[in-house]
Amino acid sequence: MQAQALPLADLSFNALGDPTRRAIFEKLQNGPLAVVHIADGMSVSRPAVSQHLKVLKEAKLININQQGTRSICEINQEGIRAIRNYLDRFWNESLAAFKTLAEKEEKNKQQKINTHKTPI
Amino acid sequence: MTAIIESITKELLVAASQETAFTVFTGKMDLWWPKTHHIGKCPMVELVLEQQQGGRWYSRHEDDSEADIGYVLTWNPYGKLVLAWQVDGNFQYDPTLITEVEVNFIPEGPKTTRIIVEHRDLEKLAGGSKLIESMDEGWGMIMNLYKNVAEGIYRQ
Repeated sequence: MQAQALPLADLSFNALGDPTRRAIFEKLQNGPLAVVHIADGMSVSRPAVSQHLKVLKEAKLININQQGTRSICEINQEGIRAIRNYLDRFWNESLAAFKTLAEKEEKNKQQKINTHKTPI
Repeated sequence: MTAIIESITKELLVAASQETAFTVFTGKMDLWWPKTHHIGKCPMVELVLEQQQGGRWYSRHEDDSEADIGYVLTWNPYGKLVLAWQVDGNFQYDPTLITEVEVNFIPEGPKTTRIIVEHRDLEKLAGGSKLIESMDEGWGMIMNLYKNVAEGIYRQ
């Protein structure tokens, strides 16, 4: 199950390793944005923005859709899913360990009760 | 519009009473929680959940430092526990972030309890580059650790 998740996770990590790309990604968490507005309020040239968007898109963190003459950018759920998958596995494994421990604890309690019983 | 991501829900049947299940979950978290899963600066020595409403949830480390994870939102023994998970997608504790972990302990017999765990509000964790890095580098390690814990419990 490791093999399936790694390539995408690896790309996502590299893509978000850059502060500008991270800033763009965070901006898109508020909703879809036209590509021409992504650089608003950021000190990044338009060609640089295009390059960053390309990397984010390849990492499947964002989608870029054409709507008429405008390109609209939005978060791709698949990138976020990598985080969810991680937590999903975390809970599977930790709850399995919890179950084993709780059942052992119950058996111990039972043994204590039994050893304190007076033999008939 | 924020991207919505569905909750993680886990359901398991445990051959233990509701009381045992609840006390092991809350009082012995240190024994079933993976030791590598923490955000401290050095190895974890203990995972602590203070067993009361508003109680702290944190890890303690070899240099005696502590790293917060969250706190107890609902303390309702032996039926329900809700924890605030305040570690974001970058493995940073963020006191303004609350994702909820709700755990219900439903008795199905004197020695059978159904446990339902829901970890919700996950979209708030988005943008987690370091979490993904950890998945890359740490997953094999975590798997081994779980295996050791589980087998250690069997051996006892």
